[in-house]
Amino acid sequence: METVTLTLDGRAVTVAKGKTVLQAAIEAGISIPYYCYHPGISIDGSCRVCVVKIEKMPKLQTSCSTICTDGMVVSTRDPEVVEARAGVFEFLLINHPLDCPVCDKGGECPLQDFSYTFGPAESRMDFPRRVFDGEGVKGDVDFGPTLMLNRQRCILCTRCVRFMKEIDADAQIGIIDRGYGSEIATFEERGVHSLLSGNLMDICPVGAILTKDYRFKSRPWDNPGVVDTICTLCAKGCNTSAWLKGKPEWARGSRLIRMTPRYNPEVNGYWMCDIGRFNYHWIESETRLRRPMMRRGAALEAAAWHDVQPRLRDRLQEAAAGVRFLVSAHASTEELFVLREMLQGLLGADALKMVTLAWTRTEKAQPAATRFRVPAADAPNVNGARDLGYNVGRGNDGAADLGELRRAVEAGGVTAVYVIDGPAGSLGNVGWLAAARQSGTLPLLVVQGVLVSELTAVADFVLPGATYVEKDAIYTNDQGRVQAASRAIAPPAEALEDWQILVNLARALGLTMIYETANDVRRALAAAMPGTPYGEAERLVFTRPIPARNWLQASNPSERWKWDFLYQDLPPVKGHSVQMEGVPLQGAYPVIPLKPVG
Amino acid sequence: MEYAPAKFHKSARTLPEPGEAFAFTPENQAKFDAYVTRYPPDQRKSAILYALYLAQGQQGYLTRAAMQHVAQQIRCTPAEVEDVVSYYTMFFTKPVGKYVLNVCRTLSCALLGAERVTEELSAVLGIKPGETDPTGTFTLVEVECLGACDRAPVVMINDTDWHERLAPEHVRRFVEDLRARGKAALSGCHLHKEQGAGGGGQGAR
Amino acid sequence: MAYERVLTKHVNEPHSYTLDFYLTQQRGYEALRKALTLDPNDIIEQVKASGLRGRGGAGFPTGLKWQFVLKDTPKPKYICCNADESEPGTFKDHVLMERNPHLLIEGCAVACYAIGAKVAYIYIRGEFYHVQQVLEAEIENAYKAGYLGKNIFGSGFDCDVYVHRGAGAYEAGEETALIESLEGKRAQPRIKPPFPAVAGLYQRPTAVNNVETLCNVPLIVLYGSEWFAGLGPEKNGGPKLFCISGHVKQPGVYEASMHTTLRELVFDYAGGMIDDRPLKAIIPGGSSVPLLLPDQLDTPASFDAVQKAGSLLGSAGLIVMNDSVCMVWLAMNLLHFYRHESCGKCTPCREGTDWLFKLLGRLEAGEGRQKDLDLLYRVSNNIVGKTLCAFGDAAATPVISTMKLFRQEYEAHVREGRCPLPAPWRASRPLFAGAH
Repeated sequence: METVTLTLDGRAVTVAKGKTVLQAAIEAGISIPYYCYHPGISIDGSCRVCVVKIEKMPKLQTSCSTICTDGMVVSTRDPEVVEARAGVFEFLLINHPLDCPVCDKGGECPLQDFSYTFGPAESRMDFPRRVFDGEGVKGDVDFGPTLMLNRQRCILCTRCVRFMKEIDADAQIGIIDRGYGSEIATFEERGVHSLLSGNLMDICPVGAILTKDYRFKSRPWDNPGVVDTICTLCAKGCNTSAWLKGKPEWARGSRLIRMTPRYNPEVNGYWMCDIGRFNYHWIESETRLRRPMMRRGAALEAAAWHDVQPRLRDRLQEAAAGVRFLVSAHASTEELFVLREMLQGLLGADALKMVTLAWTRTEKAQPAATRFRVPAADAPNVNGARDLGYNVGRGNDGAADLGELRRAVEAGGVTAVYVIDGPAGSLGNVGWLAAARQSGTLPLLVVQGVLVSELTAVADFVLPGATYVEKDAIYTNDQGRVQAASRAIAPPAEALEDWQILVNLARALGLTMIYETANDVRRALAAAMPGTPYGEAERLVFTRPIPARNWLQASNPSERWKWDFLYQDLPPVKGHSVQMEGVPLQGAYPVIPLKPVG
Repeated sequence: MEYAPAKFHKSARTLPEPGEAFAFTPENQAKFDAYVTRYPPDQRKSAILYALYLAQGQQGYLTRAAMQHVAQQIRCTPAEVEDVVSYYTMFFTKPVGKYVLNVCRTLSCALLGAERVTEELSAVLGIKPGETDPTGTFTLVEVECLGACDRAPVVMINDTDWHERLAPEHVRRFVEDLRARGKAALSGCHLHKEQGAGGGGQGAR
Repeated sequence: MAYERVLTKHVNEPHSYTLDFYLTQQRGYEALRKALTLDPNDIIEQVKASGLRGRGGAGFPTGLKWQFVLKDTPKPKYICCNADESEPGTFKDHVLMERNPHLLIEGCAVACYAIGAKVAYIYIRGEFYHVQQVLEAEIENAYKAGYLGKNIFGSGFDCDVYVHRGAGAYEAGEETALIESLEGKRAQPRIKPPFPAVAGLYQRPTAVNNVETLCNVPLIVLYGSEWFAGLGPEKNGGPKLFCISGHVKQPGVYEASMHTTLRELVFDYAGGMIDDRPLKAIIPGGSSVPLLLPDQLDTPASFDAVQKAGSLLGSAGLIVMNDSVCMVWLAMNLLHFYRHESCGKCTPCREGTDWLFKLLGRLEAGEGRQKDLDLLYRVSNNIVGKTLCAFGDAAATPVISTMKLFRQEYEAHVREGRCPLPAPWRASRPLFAGAH
C-alpha cells in the first residue's frame, strides 16, 4: 500500500495515499468536526466546519475535501482555525432550535457535541429563528411510512439527499427554494418510500430525520447496553447493533429498542434495510412461545421440560424411521450441526435425507441501480445448511422445495414431522401440514419454534426456542461468510437456546453429547471441518451488553470505535481518557479498516 | 420599517398546484426531442431547463403534473425536477398574470429610482410585489440585477421582453399603454432595434 | 495615444450582427481558418503570450486555464462560454452577443480547437432571451456557411456550438455552478479540486470562459499576441469593455485600453455626473468589489492598478454614486441581492447573508444599536474566506468596505435613529422582494 506522511497538529501521521486530511485526522484520533462528510457517500464540502490550516495554502481548507500529500503540515488548533470554526458553528446554530431536551437526537447528536467543543459560548443572533411552516406546508411533518422530518432542526448538510441519490438510487429527496429559504422536501410531501429509509436517521447529523419507531422511546443514556450482532432476516447478514434499554418499563416492557447498522465494508457498508431495522418487535411480543407444551387430548397444555422430554422421546421412538424433519433456514449452524450429529448417530450416514430445509423468497422492490441490494432469500443460513451437507437445491438463488415432503405426508407415509421454525412465515406455506395433522394423516407433529403459529395450534409438542438475539450463534450469509450473532437478551421464561433443545433430545434418545455450551458445539464444528471458514468458528467474537454507570461508559468497544472514528458522535472527552474505562478489553477486537472515499 | 417581517423568517414555500393531466403538445414534444440531442445521450437531464420553459410556455406556470411529465421526459425523479424548479427564479408554480412585470431592484437601477417604480406600479395596479391583480393581467415581481444597468430602471416583461428606462413618473402611462397596445408598448432592448445607420441606439462607445 | 476600438467598433452600425457584415468588415472567420492550420498548443502558447486575462471577474490568465485542461484522456472535452452576466453593474457581454455574435462564435470554435474540444455550450442567462434569439440565428447561419459543424474548412475539425438558457440564478455565473446548471441541476458550486480543467462538465475536462474573453481570442490569433499585449499596460493587455452605470450622464458600455483611468471613464467617456453633483464613491468592478473614493479616480482601470488601489477590476462594472447615496442603504440593497442569490449550499453564506441583511435592515430603519455595528463587521468577517466559492467574500464586501470607508454614516444611523440621507429616488416606504 502506498502511503503518505503528513504532520497533523505536530504529529507525524502516515496514511494510505488518496485519503483526505479529515480521514487522516480521524484515523489519528484528532477531532475535527464535520456534518456534510459521511464516509459512505460523496464529498460535498458544504458545511464548512471541518476547516483546517494547511501551510502554503492561502486560505483555510476543508479537510474533508483535501487529499493528503507528503510533507503537508496541517493544524486543527491554529487560532485562525478555532475562530473560523466557531464562526461557522454560530451560523449553524442561529436558526437551529435549541430543543435538545425534547429532541430524540439529544445526547447522541453531532451538532450538540461538536458545538460544545468547538462552538462559541453564546450566540449573538437576536432575530427570530427561521420557521419552516409555509402556506399549507408544515415544518415538522410525516416523512413517509417510517420517518418524521423536522425542518426546523435541519442544517442542510444534504447527506439525506445524497444518500437517496447515490445509495438508494431513487432521488426522492430534494431541496426546495434556495439560499436562506432552502429546505429538505419530497415531491408533494409524499415522504420517503424506500426499503433503506431508516438509514436516513443514522446519517442525519441532527434530529431532523427520525424514525417513527424510535421516536420518543428512549434517550441515549437510557440505553446502557449495545450488542454487536448480525441481522438474520435475510441472506445478506448485515452487521448490526442491538440497543437495549436500561429501564424497559418505559418502553412497554421491551428491552430491545432499536437496531442500527454496524460498519462492515465487505457485507453491508454503513447501511441496513428497514426490514432488519424495524422488524424486531415480534421478539418481545405476546405471541412468543414461553414454555414447553404438550397435547393432552384436545388441549395443548404447558408442561415442564422434564415432563415433556420423556414423552417426546417415547413418541419419536414409536414413529421410528418414519420421522421427517422440516427445518427453517433460520436455524443456526450450531443447531444444524447438532441435528446432523443426532440423525447420523441414530440412523447412519445418509440420515440427512430425512431433513427438508425451508425458506421463503421475496423479491424486494428496489431501484435497479441501487447500491444496497436486499437479497430475495429471507433466511440467513441456507449456505450454512449447504456446507453441512443438507440438501438445499439451488440454495439462496432458488426456492425451497417442500413438495416431496408434502406428497409423502399427504400419502400417509410419514409417522411424525419434527419442525424447527423461525420468525413468522419462515417456512412458507405450511397450511397443508397443519391440515394433515388435523385430519390425522400425520400422527405426530413436533414444533420447536419461537412464535405461536398455525402449526403450534395443532402440534403435539411445542418446544420454545430462542431468537437470533437470544443466543450466540453463527450463520453463513449469501457470500459464504461465516458471521456471529451475539446474545443480547435472554430467551423468555422457560425457552431454551435451540442447540440445547436438540442436545437434550439427542441425549434422551440415548446418544452421548458432551456439549455444555454453544461454544463447545462450535469447537466440535471447527474440528469436524478444518480448513473451511468453520475451522475458525470458535474464534468468532461474541459481545455482551456492558453494564455501566452512564452511557459514555456503556458502549462496547466496537460501538465506541464507530462513534470515535466514524461518526464521532460522542460527547467530547475532557481531561483524561475515559475511552476504555469499565470496558473489559479481553480478546482481540477486530479493527475494521476505513473505507477509501471517492 | 419592518426589518423582520414574517416572510423573512418563515418559509415562503407552498406546494405547487396538482394541476390537470399534462403532456407536451406534439409541437413541444418535437421541439424537446430535437433539443435534447444537443447533449450526450446519457445526459438528458441537461435539457431540464428547456423542458421546463416549454411546459411553462404551454400552460403559463408549472403544476405538479407538468413537473412529473418533465421528470418522465428527462428520466429523473419528480423530486429532482421540483428541486430545480424551486431553485431558479424564472419558473412559476402558481398562476401569474398575462404580463409579469419584473422590476429590477438592484443597485444601478435603484440609484435611478427603481424602488419608486415599484411603488408606483404597486399603487397603479393595486397589488404588492409578488401579487397578481384580480383581472389576471399583471403580476408584479421585484427581481435582482437584469444586466441592463445602463438603461436603468429596467423592467423585464414575462421572461422574454424588456422595457428600458422606466422613470417613476412614466409608470402610469406605461401601464395604460401596455393595457392598450400590448407588447408594442415596450421599448425592447435598445440594441435590438435596427433603425438605419447609427440610429439603433448606442451599444458601446 | 488614441485607442481604436476592436471589439465594439461596429456595434452601432446597422446589421453589424450579420454574417455578411462580419465577413466583409471584420475579417470574419479568418482567425479560425488560420487557427486550423496551427498546432493547438501553439494557439495556447500564443494566448499565453498575449497575457489575455479572463474578463469574467477573476482575471485569471486564459492561456494557463487552457493549458491545464487535461490532454491525455479519451474523454470528450468541452468549452463552456459563461454568458450568465449577472454581476450587478455588468452589462457588456450582451452587447457583444447581440451586435457582434460571430466574434463570439468564432472565439468558441478557436477555443475548442485549442483545447481539443468538439462542443461549446454558451450558457446564457434566462433573462437575455432577445439576445439568445439573435445568437442562435447567427449560429445557424454560421453552420450553413460551414464555419461550424463537420470538417470545417476541410481541416477535419468538427465543432458544435449550442446556446443553453439559464433560468434566473446569479450563482450560475460561478464556473462550477454553471457546469452544474448545464448538467440540469441547481446552480450550486462544486468543491474544488477537482477543477473543471480535469473534471468539469459531465466530469470531463472543461474550460469555462467569459464571453468577452472568448471574443478576444480570434483577435489574438489574427493580429498576434504582441499587438494584443501592446494595447494595454504590462500584464493588462488587450481591449477592455467597461460598463458604467449609476449617477452618470451617459451610462453605457465603453471600450478602452486599461491605460484609461477611472476618472477618464467617468468624466470623459460617461459624460460626468448627473446634475454635476459630487461623486461620493465608485464601485469599479461589479457589486462584489470594495468601493473606491474620489481621490482614487486617477487609478488606471487595469486589473493590477485597481487591485493596488484596494479594490478589484472584477467584471469592470463601474457603478458611480453621487452624494445622495446612503452607504448603509447601499450595503442593504446589495445584501438583499446576495441574500436572494445565495445558493444555500454552504453554511456561512446561506446563514450569514440573511443575518447581515437583517442587521442592515434594522440599522437602516433606525432601530439599530451600537453593538450591531461591531456585530455586522464580525459576521462579515466570519463569512469571508470560509465559503465554498467566492460568493461569500463578494457578499461580505459591501458591508466591510462601506464600514471601513463610511463608518460615520453607520454611527449616524444609530445615533439619530433614522437614515440621515433619505434620497428622493428611494422608496418612500421600504419594499421587500416578492416571491423569493
